[in-house]
Amino acid sequence: MDSILLTLLTFSPLLGLILLIFIPRTQTGALKLIGVLSSVLPLILAFVVYGAFDLKQAGLQFVEKLEWFSIPAEQVQFPINYELGVDGLSMPLVVLTAIIGFFAAIAGTIFVDKRWKEFYILFTIMLTGMLGVFTSQNLFLFFIFFEMTLIPMFFVMGIWGFKDREKAAMKFLLYNGLGSAIMLIVFVAIFMSVWTLNFTEIKTAFTDPGSPFNTQGSPVFIGEGLRYGLFIALLVAFAIKMPIAPLHTWMIKAYTESPTPAVLISSGVLIKIGAYGLLRFNVGFFPEVAHQLAGLLAVLGVINIIYGCLLALVQNRLKLVLAYSSISHMGIILLGVAAMNEVGFQGAVFQMVSHGLIAALMFFIVSVIFERTSTDRLDDLGGIAKSMPFVSGIFLTAAMASAGLPGMSGFISEFTAFLGLFKEMPIIAAIGTLGIILTAVYLLRAVLNTTFGPTSDRWTVLADAQPLEVLPMVLVLGFIVLIGVYPSVLSEPLQATLQNIVPRIGG
Amino acid sequence: MMSSAWLIPLLPLAAFLLLVAFGRQLKESSAYIGILATLAAFVLALGTFLERFAAGAENYYFAFQWLTFGNKVIDMGFEVNQLNAMMLVIVTFVSLLVHIYSKGYMHGDERFPVFYSYLALFTFSMLGLVISPNLLQVYIFWELVGVCSFLLVGFYFYKPEARAAAKKAFIVTRIGDVGLFIGISLLFWYVGSFNFSDIFTALQNGAMESWQITLVGILIFIGAVGKSGQFPLHTWLPDAMEGPTPVSALIHAATMVAAGVYLVAVMFPLYQASVDASLVVAYIGGFTAIFAASIGLTQRDIKRVLAYSTVSQLGYMMLALGMASVAGYVAGTFHLMTHAFFKALLFLAAGSVIHAVHTQDIFEMGGLFKKMRVTGTVFLIGCLSIAGIFPFAGYWSKEEILGAVYNKGHLGLFAVGVIAAFFTAFYMFRLFFATFTGEAADDTKKVHESPLVMTVPMILLAILAVVAGFINTPGNPVLGHWLTETMAGAEEAHHAPFWISVVATLVSLLGIFLAWLMYGKKSVSRGAIAEPFPWLYQLSYRKYYIDELYNNVIVRPLRVFGEFLTMVDVYIIDGLVKLVAGFTKELGHAGARVQNGQIQTYGLIAFLGIVLLVIGLTFGRGYLG
Repeated sequence: MDSILLTLLTFSPLLGLILLIFIPRTQTGALKLIGVLSSVLPLILAFVVYGAFDLKQAGLQFVEKLEWFSIPAEQVQFPINYELGVDGLSMPLVVLTAIIGFFAAIAGTIFVDKRWKEFYILFTIMLTGMLGVFTSQNLFLFFIFFEMTLIPMFFVMGIWGFKDREKAAMKFLLYNGLGSAIMLIVFVAIFMSVWTLNFTEIKTAFTDPGSPFNTQGSPVFIGEGLRYGLFIALLVAFAIKMPIAPLHTWMIKAYTESPTPAVLISSGVLIKIGAYGLLRFNVGFFPEVAHQLAGLLAVLGVINIIYGCLLALVQNRLKLVLAYSSISHMGIILLGVAAMNEVGFQGAVFQMVSHGLIAALMFFIVSVIFERTSTDRLDDLGGIAKSMPFVSGIFLTAAMASAGLPGMSGFISEFTAFLGLFKEMPIIAAIGTLGIILTAVYLLRAVLNTTFGPTSDRWTVLADAQPLEVLPMVLVLGFIVLIGVYPSVLSEPLQATLQNIVPRIGG
Repeated sequence: MMSSAWLIPLLPLAAFLLLVAFGRQLKESSAYIGILATLAAFVLALGTFLERFAAGAENYYFAFQWLTFGNKVIDMGFEVNQLNAMMLVIVTFVSLLVHIYSKGYMHGDERFPVFYSYLALFTFSMLGLVISPNLLQVYIFWELVGVCSFLLVGFYFYKPEARAAAKKAFIVTRIGDVGLFIGISLLFWYVGSFNFSDIFTALQNGAMESWQITLVGILIFIGAVGKSGQFPLHTWLPDAMEGPTPVSALIHAATMVAAGVYLVAVMFPLYQASVDASLVVAYIGGFTAIFAASIGLTQRDIKRVLAYSTVSQLGYMMLALGMASVAGYVAGTFHLMTHAFFKALLFLAAGSVIHAVHTQDIFEMGGLFKKMRVTGTVFLIGCLSIAGIFPFAGYWSKEEILGAVYNKGHLGLFAVGVIAAFFTAFYMFRLFFATFTGEAADDTKKVHESPLVMTVPMILLAILAVVAGFINTPGNPVLGHWLTETMAGAEEAHHAPFWISVVATLVSLLGIFLAWLMYGKKSVSRGAIAEPFPWLYQLSYRKYYIDELYNNVIVRPLRVFGEFLTMVDVYIIDGLVKLVAGFTKELGHAGARVQNGQIQTYGLIAFLGIVLLVIGLTFGRGYLG
């Protein structure tokens, strides 16, 4: 209870921010160093927390609770608390965020070419926001941290992005702003019915007849209709974030026009917030509704998978292939959630972490190639394995991980999510497995057209990966392999928590 | 020895890791690491086999907890039983010889260490598959085997054909893999476990409905169809010829394609429990046997003929396993073993030929026997063995298959097997006569025998291709008894009538004779049969246009559909959004100021959101409180 570990972890990037403010713009080396270091501290702390995490315990750990301020409401002062904590669901995502944060910070030193001071300032805010999203334990804090990821990202895209960056940034802000507006309304509505902001208390109030929040002796009375309404509204908000087709178009632009570190953060962590919200709020607060609408989620998941695959199949730019690939992989998370059983949820969380690592790695590799060739068009590239054997090898390995090759995290995630759904809806799951084939098709097409084949004269003298590029790639690949070979590192903290989330239908 | 069987796959894995780390420095001495590791694995495998083979030996099982799903524990581990003890020896032996042979064959290739690292990984994956005690672990290694074969087929990555072939191998087999994936998933929920022992116990206890058994049986077989190149997923195997020839030997004999047959053999109790599923196996196998043989009749590329012969022989194995009888089980696994020896031999010998003449077209060769006596002799042995001539290894196993089919009363399938045997004998000797006898097509070429490092592995395989059959003769079926000693109904296995043996031998001799007339003595012109039926010849030569069919019916429509969806995505979905958010443009102007870094403005926007939340809370409280 007295632990302030999570506060330290969440706000540790801001230490870097303070230092950055005092470093002159011209000292680019120092700016980059501090930028990277400000991501190392949370990385270390994240592993400290992970190491101290009690695997047996289902509830929240490292809980911190402070009265922050209060709002006057008629006669009473309603307190707004500062509440942090992690459980098995958020723990893996905190570690993921820290890893991707480090990855993106290094990417910043390589791929950002101007105004490092502002860049890293925005970066540290974003990192704190992302960590906070997963550690916060009430709606108010969650929303603030959520916004802390949104606004800096808008600037990073708009300032450091590629040619069409402003349009992309605006689109990003519009969609995500709309999403957070909807989320805000839902949060307010939830608060108005249970008079608390705390996740656990809301969950208890909504689902447990004996809860102290209920005076009537039954779960807080919100009508069937309102529950459905809130569920759908939240689903839309998180569907934008994940994204779920047809709300995905902001992401396509964002991935093609954003600077590399922003894409790593987006594909690695930000879109996972949508999936996290889906599990934490939609399933956590409205288990009956989730159970009722599981079929809808499964169908949306299959549509996402197949739609993403089919589009990825014909794109002529690597970044577009990866963007649609992300949509497809988000569909697998939906399938896991739709299963509404422990196996499925476990698969969904596995897939969040796994896709975060793999997608970030893939985008990083494409950026490394782009940096040297100034193109990501498939018909321009080809045969670069000759001049860049290391990068090409990693690219193929990452693609295999993404296509679900055993021994790497993609397989066990995909397999577990599907396995969960096969228990409940075998037909829909079987249709979804078409995606497994199509994923291999589009990934091999993209990777082989880039690396295999005859080497054009333009690409015979490309430099292979530099040490600074090798380090993060190997590190992330190491995590991908670790999870693939020994998935218990991920599943053990999850187990106890997931048992709590699985809807107890009929009880 | 059995308790240390887990080391068998780990040795090649260690070699792989070493080669990845130090391959660049080691250059061609990489070969020694690979050879040593596989040699050690082979010795261990042999020890394991002998220990299991000894009278009174029991199976060995070890597993540890790998992952949990709620209250369900998923294990990883290893198992030694009769079938996989035999497989371990076959795989390590063939792999060892391929490792040795490649030292000569790949000499001078600039990616020599990479090649050896792939070989080691391939061997590791296949051995891991073989010792798996549960279906999930099988699936894991199954996929790794697929990736390794992809890597090796695409080894000459700069060649567009190799790129296309590698991609095809991966994707076509993956279609099958998805069948297996679904089958395993469903089985897990029906039985509650991936472990073979649990699955077989559940089958015995009647825990599964019969439709479930059939469904799972067929789904798992789909996986085997992909891996073992059975119709209709056979198309990748002939194209996989783009890889270096030693790889073909490995893929066709001991690793990749053997995995499918092995899987069906491992799941044999499942097929015994479902008549429908086993009939599907039998008919697909039988059809593939004759279908692929009929394509082999007309191909001109030496490796392609061998590839179709593999497809056809694998069909035989499936046909035998599909009988769901003990005799069928023995015949199928026995043929898997003899085939491993003679097919590895044939490919290595073909590689030796290609190495010498630098062409793969059999009608550009000719007269090679004089110049390459060792290669020619071992190739002839391979041909006699695959054609099923007494007393070569192929004779014994093919007899067993035909006998098992006949005893089950499937006369149609029996006839198919006999006709396919005729085709096999014909096209194999067509290959032999065209390549090794007659006059050289191009006398200017200097052709000489391959070095010892290549011929010695071939000679070893040739010896086995002669004698391996004697381990399971009708009079003394040592292997069969041992393989099935724990199986129910083993004693019922009775042998087929003697006349089958006579008929099959005559048919094969007839095929050889016809080939000799056309390509050896040349008293019958090559076109004598093809010319009256040009369409039939074309059908066979163009492989029944299956590739074209898939291309036009699946690949292209899929691409067109993808293009169509892209249009929908860009113009309709995104267009609608733009329409709805008509003010995007207006805001776009405001967005231009982003460049000026007016952070305050946007901080304000964020702050406004938070204020809104606070107001909402207050309002809510006041309103309802």
